[in-house]
Amino acid sequence: MADGTTFKIDGRDVVAKPGQTILQAAMDQDIYIPYLCYYPKMKPQGSCRACMVEVEANGRKMMVASCTTPPMPEAEVTTNSEEVEGLRRNVVELLMSEHPHGCLTCHRIELCGPQDICQRHVTVTDRCTICPKNERCELKDTVRAVELDLRTPLNYHRRDLPIHSDDPFYDRDYNLCIVCSRCVRVCDEVRFDTALTLTSRSGVALVGTSHGTSLLESGCEFCGACVDVCPTGSLTERNYKWEKAVSEVATVCTNCPVGCQMIAEVNKFGKVVRFKADLAGAANNGQACMTGKFGYEYTNDSSRLKRPYVREGGILRKATWDEALEKIKSGLGGRSSEELAVITSPRGSNEDQYVAAKFAKSVLKTANIDSALNADNALLSRLEARLGAGAATNPIWDLENSKSLLVVAGNPTEEQNVLAVPAKKAVREGAKLVVIDSRETELTRYATEWLRPKPGSEALLIAGISRVILDEALEDKEFVGSRLDQAEELKQSLWTFDLAKVSRDTGIEDAQIRRAARIFAESDAGAILLGDDGLTDKAAELVVDASIDLAAITGNLGKASGGIFPLYRGANTLGARDMGATPGENGRDIAEMMSGMTSGDVKAALVMADGVSGYSPTLSSLPAALENLDFLVVSAALDSEITHHANVVLPAATYAEQNSSLTNVERRVQLLRITAEPKHEEKTGWETVAAIANAMGGTGFDYATASDVFTEIAQEVSNYSGLNYERLQSGGIQWPVDSSILFSDEASKVTVVALNYDELANSAESGSLTFAPGRVLSQPERDVVVRKPADMNYVDREQFVQVHPDDAKSAGLNEGDVIQVKTDDGHILARGKAVFDSPQVGLVGATTLFGELATKMHELDVADWTPQMPGLGYSTVTLESAPVEQEAGAAAD
Amino acid sequence: MSTPFEDLQARAAKRWSELTEGESAWIRVGGGTSGQAAGADAVFEAFKSSVESTGVNANVSMVSAMGLMYLEPQVDILMPNGARVYYGNVNADEAKEIVEQHLKEGKPLTDRAYAYSGGDGSGVGNLPELDSMPMVALQKRIATRNFGDTDPHDLLQYVANGGYTALNRALTEMTPEEIVDEVKAAGLRGRGGAAFPAGVKWSFLAPSKAPVKYVLCNCEEGDPGAFNDKGIIENDPHTLVEGLIINGYATRSTHGYVFIRTGHELPIESARKAIAAAYEAGLLGKNILGTDFSFDMEVSLTGDSYVAGEETALMEAIEGKRSTPRFKPPFPAAAGLWQKPTNINNVKTLSYVPEIVRNGSDWFKSIGTETTSGTAIVCLSGHITYPGMYEVPMGMTIREVLEKVGGGVSVGERIKVLQAGGPLNGLLGEDAFDTMIDFDAMSAAGASIGSGGIIVGNETVNVVDLLRSLVAFNQFESCGKCFPCRLGNTHMLEILDRMCQNKAKSADLALLERVGTSMKAGSLCGHGQLGFNPIASALKYFGDEIKSCLAGEIAPGGVFGDGTMILPTRTRP
Repeated sequence: MADGTTFKIDGRDVVAKPGQTILQAAMDQDIYIPYLCYYPKMKPQGSCRACMVEVEANGRKMMVASCTTPPMPEAEVTTNSEEVEGLRRNVVELLMSEHPHGCLTCHRIELCGPQDICQRHVTVTDRCTICPKNERCELKDTVRAVELDLRTPLNYHRRDLPIHSDDPFYDRDYNLCIVCSRCVRVCDEVRFDTALTLTSRSGVALVGTSHGTSLLESGCEFCGACVDVCPTGSLTERNYKWEKAVSEVATVCTNCPVGCQMIAEVNKFGKVVRFKADLAGAANNGQACMTGKFGYEYTNDSSRLKRPYVREGGILRKATWDEALEKIKSGLGGRSSEELAVITSPRGSNEDQYVAAKFAKSVLKTANIDSALNADNALLSRLEARLGAGAATNPIWDLENSKSLLVVAGNPTEEQNVLAVPAKKAVREGAKLVVIDSRETELTRYATEWLRPKPGSEALLIAGISRVILDEALEDKEFVGSRLDQAEELKQSLWTFDLAKVSRDTGIEDAQIRRAARIFAESDAGAILLGDDGLTDKAAELVVDASIDLAAITGNLGKASGGIFPLYRGANTLGARDMGATPGENGRDIAEMMSGMTSGDVKAALVMADGVSGYSPTLSSLPAALENLDFLVVSAALDSEITHHANVVLPAATYAEQNSSLTNVERRVQLLRITAEPKHEEKTGWETVAAIANAMGGTGFDYATASDVFTEIAQEVSNYSGLNYERLQSGGIQWPVDSSILFSDEASKVTVVALNYDELANSAESGSLTFAPGRVLSQPERDVVVRKPADMNYVDREQFVQVHPDDAKSAGLNEGDVIQVKTDDGHILARGKAVFDSPQVGLVGATTLFGELATKMHELDVADWTPQMPGLGYSTVTLESAPVEQEAGAAAD
Repeated sequence: MSTPFEDLQARAAKRWSELTEGESAWIRVGGGTSGQAAGADAVFEAFKSSVESTGVNANVSMVSAMGLMYLEPQVDILMPNGARVYYGNVNADEAKEIVEQHLKEGKPLTDRAYAYSGGDGSGVGNLPELDSMPMVALQKRIATRNFGDTDPHDLLQYVANGGYTALNRALTEMTPEEIVDEVKAAGLRGRGGAAFPAGVKWSFLAPSKAPVKYVLCNCEEGDPGAFNDKGIIENDPHTLVEGLIINGYATRSTHGYVFIRTGHELPIESARKAIAAAYEAGLLGKNILGTDFSFDMEVSLTGDSYVAGEETALMEAIEGKRSTPRFKPPFPAAAGLWQKPTNINNVKTLSYVPEIVRNGSDWFKSIGTETTSGTAIVCLSGHITYPGMYEVPMGMTIREVLEKVGGGVSVGERIKVLQAGGPLNGLLGEDAFDTMIDFDAMSAAGASIGSGGIIVGNETVNVVDLLRSLVAFNQFESCGKCFPCRLGNTHMLEILDRMCQNKAKSADLALLERVGTSMKAGSLCGHGQLGFNPIASALKYFGDEIKSCLAGEIAPGGVFGDGTMILPTRTRP
């Protein structure tokens, strides 16, 4: 069996790989067997029976579903006999009796264009124009493939169900559903959300949500996986719902560092009309998330900036590139290096980052350059210093085989969504999850141990876990003995971490610390997902140190399904760091640039603004800071609060309009490909910077193509050595070339560092009240009311604010009071009924539903909404009684 | 020193002799669903209070139903002299009179009673002896051996009548392999419908060395007209429990589940009590009867689903999922419940096992036919004079069962049609009545013993209307997973509806056959694969009648079916 099974399909010798079914083996050989319920990378279901074949083995002949049946050795499989084809036709004929099929039977089918409005040839509910997937429908292809005679005597019944278009982003029309259950299964066995289910049975079996609830409360994460797998027009993206694609291009999503490979569909007008997760994507394995699946549309927006603008007399007027460059030359030129700053786009390609870094260094001669979303600089820099890479040590999908997981101060299901998919899979398959986070997140629902320490004491807690591991002799002694540098120093330092003290200073019971330690240490492979939410730079560095020490003593470095995964933001933050688009010596990082602008020390800046929003959690002070500048150049795809104060605005090409490369969290360098040509005067980031550089007299900026830039990158950046566009074509390569797991070389050493108790304990906050907002996909234990004031559903449920009794007492509040959580500058962050179940003095929590966020994002009136996804940021707050006129239970602001 | 089982037997013997050999009379009221539906509870209470008020020396027990359902509620009285007199269709109001006359005066009401048994040989009045009545004489009671005699909730009564000796023998004298061989040699075929040799099935599971293995007992029993699984569990649950433990021992399994459909209230209660009693007696749990064998058992319920009776759907149901069938392979013996090696057997199959182990395979093999040993537990209902549950040896003809056991047609002139083996099996016409009851002969006739239900229809039954009812049932109960069953049943029902309303076209028959054959070849599980059976068999025996519906020749009024058939409510959205 290990070598596979040899059998015959239609007389051809076929070897099935171990575990393959007849259908899979046939697909590998390009032998077509129709199927509808099967879908690659999902478990077979065996319900549509369109894949029936005849198998003759051991002298017996039988009809079997090829999707579920493994081949028997020496079996003869027939896929095309009259009997087999007849059976398939009959099955599909049955299916078509409940599916509108005017698109197949109408005699005008050859005459009508796909978008023609038909008024007379088939019944209203049956015509092809009612189906958004007309001519891009898998069912239709199957019907044609089985050569169904559509003059069926079977009665056709339309279900006449209302279409669900009251939830964000996608429509559900169950009149077109064939109940193949792909959507239900992908939601369950791939995404682990189980937001969808099969309903009822017999002739009325259908797909829906449990009890017919709105998606907002069903646990839907709006990842669109169900839409991607639907073979009919039943599930469709709402925007561009009716658009037909003329081409498909594999490209990469530029919203977060996972770097999901996507298939962009482009219509005949050159608009990107659909994003589908690419099954072949190494980083995403066919998955995407709400922002990736639905956030691509800004590239099509009619308000896109088409040409340069220069400010004259206080207003921006249309200009030519030459005029704009002239203006920039005088605006940026002649300034001291300290006055200048370059902010690169988090979506900016490696080429953009490289050319920008070169421009800053050689033309502006400034060290003030950073990527806009490099707020996790401390985390990544420390990782880089300690492990040689401010990136994941292991591939993302390694996580699916992890046996234990430790997630610290991060919310990957929202911020690095697809990275959480294999993590959730591991948990479904028995891995134990430990979450260290004061906030309630989606992953805390899956956690075996959820530790909610005092904010800031995360590193101390991790060190406490390491201490337990040493105490109980659970460390990987062989790894510690042979692969660690300075192990003794670490051990010595950990003796000062008395567990009673750790427990006191973190606010976590020592029994729970012990349980967490055992979970992590006793599994075969444990991975650490490391975020820095709510941590100061110092605390983030300590968390890195403590985590690396923990991974090292448990032997989880250099091991498959182990390793450390930083949870940072910005699609190409890693690429920017690799390319040197980070602060040089004495240079300002993004936060310091903003303060420098505010103080007037920084006077002129170039901002590459694609994906930069003043509403991003870490960039809220950017618009005001930019206002102070003497001179601002912004390269942007869209007008925004960033361009408002610019002296020159340059039209930027989007992800769809360029060939370039990005580097994701697992160090995978992937290609962005042109899906739609720029329509006006837009330039890519590197073209823009090169044009400015050339205008300012820089040399070495004469690149013809992005590939030329990359060739220089491969020469200059050692980790990229050996890479070129040709090699990257087939799905991306991890740097250093072909090292998927760092430290897998048995001879390599991991240096651990001694930890200082006082340093770790001092990073814990004390005194002030910290608001730690939570958000989950569903809270089945709580009632949810969904209201539908007009066409859309809204979550409207009673809010609870978790407070510690001591804090309530200090604020003069009682349990059950309607209270509000207020920031120093008067923002109300949450309002609701006070419940006394905060685990720590000083910690205030409130958990909302992801559905509320999805609605908000869906309704946001900006084309490029994904940078505005609010994180679950911590705030220093005060508590007060909600004003009486406020209705109890009103939703939070 | 006595063994744990000998202790148990001694206690049982004592209990039984108290009931049957002491100075007290023993009044037994037939319970079970059949008895209780006919009012046995009230009768039982009436006898208890009558005994109290008259002060006679008698025990009153609610015991298992005898199976002669046309006689419910049934009461029998065992006098201290050993004669047992049977009263049928007893009314609560009669209790006092019977107690006074029969017990106090010692004068059985021979005009009210229908039979007697035992005694000193002199008989009771002119009453026939119970065993001489054809519906009793023709039976060979193995699985139903204790029916009418013992209290199903009293483990000791079961033990006193030979219960658990087979288990004791199996655990102390036989290896698991020997039991599997014995069951194989007995020729025991699965009674769930597929008739697969039980011993062979067990031998698939036995060799697996997995640390956790399951044996399941299937009492979904959703077939209209079938009540023998429920009957066995509610009337003699220990025979099943014992059979399942032996099944567990023979296959070296660790856990047993008795799977019962929600709504079968009495069997659920009965099985739970029996399992609890078996635990208490050391017959379940750790080190059963002091041996090395440990085995746990529990009752598992599913919701209202017929397809949950399909073996893999049943496993899904036990796992708490939507009960839809899995595809095979993998087969249950490799990966069944919770993906562990699993065997699943029908209630009836397992209920034969104790007697096979006790009496040997030769004995069992001697009953029945060459290819089907043992008995068939037939449930007669419909237009039949003596509806009830009868255990007859395999090989008896259908006609014998209908005429001799069932007493022929109850109303009307003749028996026209039989629905045998549940709604997924065939309709039989008179031409088939000489068929032997035997798996292979029935199958050749186009029907099946299936669940054992036989619904009898007289000449007033319209076959197309009956088919519509059956297909409506199948359509309603389709789980909706695989397309041919979900859609095929819906279309078959629609066509039959048309036929019933005189709206059918001549091409509809061919369409019906096309849909039916697609279902047979293309469906995932038996529900769809067998869904065309009723129509296929009806075409064989009632072809002309069916064709007349196509020609518009039926029912001058245009529509037949008097509205009594209630179509399931959810056939269409």
